[in-house]
Amino acid sequence: MTADPGETPAGTADATMVADLTADPEVAAADVPPGLVAQSLGQYLRASWLQVRSGNSGVLPVVLAMVLVAITFEIVTPEHAFLRPSNLVYIFGLSTVYMMLAMAETVVLLLGEIDLSVGAVALIGGVIAFKLVQHPGPGWPWWAAILAALVCCGVIGALQGTLTARLKIPSFVVTLAGFLLFSGILVVVLGGANGFLTVSAAVPNQRVIYYMVQGVIVPVAGWIALAVVVGATGAALWLRAAARRRQGLVAPPAGLTAIRIALVALVGVAVLTVCTVNRGTPLVAVRGVPWVIPIVIVVLGAWTLLLQRTRFGRYVYAIGGNPEAARRAGVSLAAIRTWAFALCSATAGLGGILLGSFFFGEYSTNTADPGQLVLYAVAAAVIGGVSLFGGRGKAIHGVLGGLLIGSIAYGVSLLSLGTLATPLEYIVPGSVLLAAVAVDVLSRRGSGSVTRV
Amino acid sequence: MSDLPVTTDSGETPSGTADASKVVDLTAAPEVAAADVPPELLAQSLGQYLRAWWLRVRGGDSGVLPVVLAIVVVAVSFQVANSQFLSALNLVNLFEQSTVYMVLAMAEIFALLLGEIDLSVGLVMAFGSVMVAELVQPTGPGWPWWAAIIAALLVCSAFGAIQGSLVARLRMPSFIVTLGGLLILEGVGIIFLGGALVGIGNSQFTNEVVLYDIFYGQFDPVVSWILLAVLVGGAGTWLWLRDVRKRRAGLETPPRSLTALKIALMAVAGIAVVAICNVNRAHSGTIEGVPYIIPIVLVVLAASTVLLQRTRFGRYVYAIGGNAEAARRAGVKLPAVRTWGFVLAALTSGIAGVLFASWQVSLTTNIIKTANSYVLLAVAAAVIGGTSLFGGRGKTIHGVLGGLVIGGIYNGLYLLGVSSQWIDVVVAAVLLVAAAVDVLSRRGAPRRA
Repeated sequence: MTADPGETPAGTADATMVADLTADPEVAAADVPPGLVAQSLGQYLRASWLQVRSGNSGVLPVVLAMVLVAITFEIVTPEHAFLRPSNLVYIFGLSTVYMMLAMAETVVLLLGEIDLSVGAVALIGGVIAFKLVQHPGPGWPWWAAILAALVCCGVIGALQGTLTARLKIPSFVVTLAGFLLFSGILVVVLGGANGFLTVSAAVPNQRVIYYMVQGVIVPVAGWIALAVVVGATGAALWLRAAARRRQGLVAPPAGLTAIRIALVALVGVAVLTVCTVNRGTPLVAVRGVPWVIPIVIVVLGAWTLLLQRTRFGRYVYAIGGNPEAARRAGVSLAAIRTWAFALCSATAGLGGILLGSFFFGEYSTNTADPGQLVLYAVAAAVIGGVSLFGGRGKAIHGVLGGLLIGSIAYGVSLLSLGTLATPLEYIVPGSVLLAAVAVDVLSRRGSGSVTRV
Repeated sequence: MSDLPVTTDSGETPSGTADASKVVDLTAAPEVAAADVPPELLAQSLGQYLRAWWLRVRGGDSGVLPVVLAIVVVAVSFQVANSQFLSALNLVNLFEQSTVYMVLAMAEIFALLLGEIDLSVGLVMAFGSVMVAELVQPTGPGWPWWAAIIAALLVCSAFGAIQGSLVARLRMPSFIVTLGGLLILEGVGIIFLGGALVGIGNSQFTNEVVLYDIFYGQFDPVVSWILLAVLVGGAGTWLWLRDVRKRRAGLETPPRSLTALKIALMAVAGIAVVAICNVNRAHSGTIEGVPYIIPIVLVVLAASTVLLQRTRFGRYVYAIGGNAEAARRAGVKLPAVRTWGFVLAALTSGIAGVLFASWQVSLTTNIIKTANSYVLLAVAAAVIGGTSLFGGRGKTIHGVLGGLVIGGIYNGLYLLGVSSQWIDVVVAAVLLVAAAVDVLSRRGAPRRA
């Protein structure tokens, strides 16, 4: 430990030499974010690499998997159609529900619990919102309908969370029962097995819900919004780092901040470029960023802030890492768990509304199978890099995992496999899920942080 | 047992300090009940046995009592709502509808006892059923029925072995392994089905007729009575002789009256079942006698009970479910036992698949897609029956009884004309109550915090 000047500043280390803290393998193993210890870009990269090697690979595997999936499907699909702008935009829309459900599932997985009801609750949320804007019918304004749906879902989640957190019934069973219960109630709300609900673009009040996924922002407005968002994010990141440096706090190297801002700008420009290409017909042009992209980004931002920057988030990670330690540190386990389930269900409900919007404003019992939705949601979260054992993962992992699942599903459907198409919709996600968990388990074993009998 | 004063332990120290002239009532010690000692090992009279049993129930180990009560409640309430519920026709019907849940619940119990979960049982069942039906097709492979069944059971077991290895050796969570497994199986099953429909209802082909009769065939009424007499006579004699032998060898033996009571109960239950089944239940013509599936379920139940209660493997399963680390330190090979647990779960699901094929007669892609709902019902049946979700507690009889509750609820609500979505709601509520009872009863038990 003599080489550890960070912990013994007045110790035996030579103070004139700035020691490279990131070279210490213990730092990597102890899960210290590289941004906190690195003093230059090179050190940061080395520290990140050490983290990856010690099993904390973050978003790297899922990004690699996405690249791999994109290249593979681009090569094998007829006419190399996979990466066409129209397809890319469609994939995002298709993946929306998986992204939302995976983000929802992430917070519960972080606690070391599981929610098997997200699929059914999502559909309940969607159906409630659709039902409330019906004319003739309740005829609520669209925002009130969405709000009511989210509140209903939140209450459902709070109930399930209470049963799990206070009565200590395993979340697996509570949400299994919830899944059955709400799958049944869903059909009741829809008005029988053949019931359906639609919203139409022609009705002013329903137009917002109809266009949530498919509606577009005109390209010019999109570019302006992008400039504003990138500018604001960049300024915030840069100023924060500068403020920290000025106060003598640990700050990421300036090069790193610059690269991050450049990356945000680059991704934004790429997305906008892709979305600006006309994806309709030459006669009826469809171009511009679909509304669903900012919606997902806002939800992602909210979840990231909540999990990374608030006390609630820290408690969630603490409980997931070691509930007994968290309890002894004074964390109210029951309250945090209940809130996590409530927020999970509310997010799922929003996913359900977006799902109906994606299917051109129609909701029926055939819209989605709640069981399959939840399988895909768990798979997406785990594939994205959320650990099943609690305490490790971020909302962005859910988004990336959901995008990957959607990409695979759509890519397979492009392959015109005939009778093999349906089976592969099950086999591919199943295999990907198994592979992702095997990686999770093996990486945790490599890091030595877990020993399960 | 170490808590017990040695002086009162006359059974284990026959030449010890205990006063031999006074038989001490061991069952009165609350520690005995808390330490999970089976009452019949200590009781020396029927009264003591009942008292010991009651102590155990109060100590949180209520066994089949709650589920039997649940069956009574279900039966009474549906009978009040619809007088057809307890008719002979409907009772046989109800049992037939419950068999798949029962066998599937027994499959799930192998995983639950280990403290694991197997979400793939429903799909393994569906896959097994498709395989059996495909293999006997005269236009296809045209295998004999027994070869088809054996092949399907082997493939199902192999699938269980793969899942079990991933769980046991890699220590991947069983929840996820079997989730991925069921997705893969769903796809493979659809490929296997070839997008078409496969049926076993053609009465011109013997192999299909045999498969069809597994579910829809029955013994002749007279044969039913003879079989019952043989069965009860055999089991009764065996039980009685075992006790006599144990008593002669100076081992602990349940009181005679208890054994007699058990045999009498068995006879009464058997007579009731046969009497009900021998009523003509056809709307026109004659259908009477005990359906084949009743002995089939009994055989599966008996085999799994013997395996779990009377073999070293069974003891290891309970040991791992109770405390895996303790079992490991005691020298139990965790990976092997766990893998076998999943093999047995898949094998039993395969048996359920054979019954399922026979029940459905024709299988379509839709059946594979809906097979998922069966796993929920299997878990529900096991938990309702009294199997703990936390491992180490439960028997396969719990799966049978829990399956009967689920089947009864489905059947009763269907008779009342309730639509299927409300039935799901009721089953969900029952599952929640069962899980809450499981949790609360464990909390009441002093031996586990």
